[in-house]
Amino acid sequence: MNRLIRIISQSIRAVRAFKLRTFFCLLSVALGIASIVIIVAAVEGAYKKAFEMVARFGPDSVLVLSGGEEARAIGMRQKTLTLEDVGAVRQAFPNAYMVVPMTSQSGVNASYRDKKHQTQVIGSTEDYSRVWTWPVIQGSDFTSEDIKGLRNVGLIGQYLLKELFGDKDPVGKYILIKGMPVQIIGVLSERGMSATGHNLDDRIIMPLSSVMRKIQNETKYISALRVRFIDQENLYKRADELRAFLRYRHRIPDGQPDDFRIITPKEITKLLVALTGSLVIFLGIVGLISLTVAGFVLANLFLLSVKERTNEIGIRRATGAKKKDILLQFLSEAVIITSLGGLLGFMLGLVSSRLLILVADFPIYFSWKSFAVGLLLSWIVGIGFGLQPAKRAANLKPIEAIRE
Amino acid sequence: MEVRSDEKKLKLQVKCEKISELRTQHSELLCLMENIKKTYRIGDEDVEALKGINLQIERGEFVAIMGISGSGKTTLMNLIGCLDVPTSGRYILNGKEVSNLSDDELSVVRNELIGFVFQNFYLMPYATVLENVMLPTIYLDRTTNDVEDMAMEVLRMVGLEDRAKFKPKQLSGGQMQRVAIARALINGPELILADEPTGQLDSKTAKEIMDILAKMNESGRNIIVVTHDQNIASYAKRVIRISDGLITDESLN
Repeated sequence: MNRLIRIISQSIRAVRAFKLRTFFCLLSVALGIASIVIIVAAVEGAYKKAFEMVARFGPDSVLVLSGGEEARAIGMRQKTLTLEDVGAVRQAFPNAYMVVPMTSQSGVNASYRDKKHQTQVIGSTEDYSRVWTWPVIQGSDFTSEDIKGLRNVGLIGQYLLKELFGDKDPVGKYILIKGMPVQIIGVLSERGMSATGHNLDDRIIMPLSSVMRKIQNETKYISALRVRFIDQENLYKRADELRAFLRYRHRIPDGQPDDFRIITPKEITKLLVALTGSLVIFLGIVGLISLTVAGFVLANLFLLSVKERTNEIGIRRATGAKKKDILLQFLSEAVIITSLGGLLGFMLGLVSSRLLILVADFPIYFSWKSFAVGLLLSWIVGIGFGLQPAKRAANLKPIEAIRE
Repeated sequence: MEVRSDEKKLKLQVKCEKISELRTQHSELLCLMENIKKTYRIGDEDVEALKGINLQIERGEFVAIMGISGSGKTTLMNLIGCLDVPTSGRYILNGKEVSNLSDDELSVVRNELIGFVFQNFYLMPYATVLENVMLPTIYLDRTTNDVEDMAMEVLRMVGLEDRAKFKPKQLSGGQMQRVAIARALINGPELILADEPTGQLDSKTAKEIMDILAKMNESGRNIIVVTHDQNIASYAKRVIRISDGLITDESLN
């Protein structure tokens, strides 16, 4: 056996022998590492989710909402975008390969036979499912005739479908929307929650003009406008141009806020990061505090151990251990313990993140990264806080250590 | 001119003879101490523990160093055992000057040349007898194989081969000291240095331990025992008495 291996196996021997010291150090390190591991997993999960959301939102897309930020903040739903805006945008932006207007009405009563449900009605064009990359999985999509002819037809979301039809096939059936019979022609695939936790599947899509005229009694204003650009790499430049263009059209003087809001993929991520951020900060503080505490627990238990094992150090030195051999032995004792603590912490993180998901729907994703960060930090704690006691052990003079 | 150069030659010849004489003398000696002094600083005061020790120990000797506490015998034993370095003077151990070696170099010397037996045994309580015996092999500079066989071999020499898997606390004091002797033997040292080896033992057990040491000496090992006990010293072939930092008396048993 190699000299180094022999010394490190002495450390392993001591880790096994001093069980109480090992237990307390292990536990305190594990708690700290667990919260750090969760943080890394949460950050990773957030990024993964953000990536998915951007992909779903469309990395080449923007969404323009009616009403300025201030008005939205106080709950006012001004409608400022008009059908003329839509046409003007189509003409002014040749790079926009899809410009789809939308109008939305929430809290609308929908019923099928004896089943009732309040839902959201979206009015849009035949491009709706394409502009949102949201496929119709059953029945058929709108045709341009459906839109032009103001037909009472609808694409139903999965949640509303379950509420009204259960497991039955809805295609071709008529439901009542605000007392008006609407034929279901297609079913949208499941979409899940939005970044703000809104259930996207609780809706029915109808032709834009049908909704405006028959439900909203509206001829001019729409709620939102979705634009997809060919040149994805210039998306943010295009968004700025779009903003300037709409400000010009709405005759907003300089210094006044926008009366609309442009949502880009970046903002989708921002929202999610803000949501995850609070968790990260909380766990980050908890993790750092508990790791520091773990470090001090380790340092103190090791100092005690060095004192208790003075004779051992003495006899090791007398039989030929060099200073650096003693240093190595005690340092590896610390690092072995903290590494084990890191492993335990990782497992603890895995388990407690399951619980965390039960409490709140945070995106948490474990990969080798959180494992690596956990292990690395445990080494840092082991070396950082084990060095001082190990140095003390190494610097004991052999004659003094033996005479103790 | 010629006369002077002849004189020079003669002088040179004499010098060479002297040097080679010294060399052969040294290689026969295990320990050679010349005017060794050791001063400790306690508080603001310098305390001279050794005031000029001259000592020669030949190979195959069994020497007892005697003295009351405070006589400097412990300091002397620390220096002989390379646990400490002298303030001044020359110490040649096994043909090599060790008086100004670094801490690391002293560790190597202790590891390879010296086996220690202490009054309090100093066995690691959490390790087995076998692991305790194998301790010095950990710090050998080479890769080791079959150290366990070696350890069993030395345990057999002290009659404890059937206790290899025991923990120290399962042993009697005499057995613990025998484990310590086995540990001192495992690296095949030139010198076994025993510091009050029977201090913790009753007289019957003490006799057993001293008999083992005497037997070791008969099979050619060099042994130095540091003690204040006349009975223990009587096992040695030569007794060196030290008092107040100086050797005061030497006698052969």
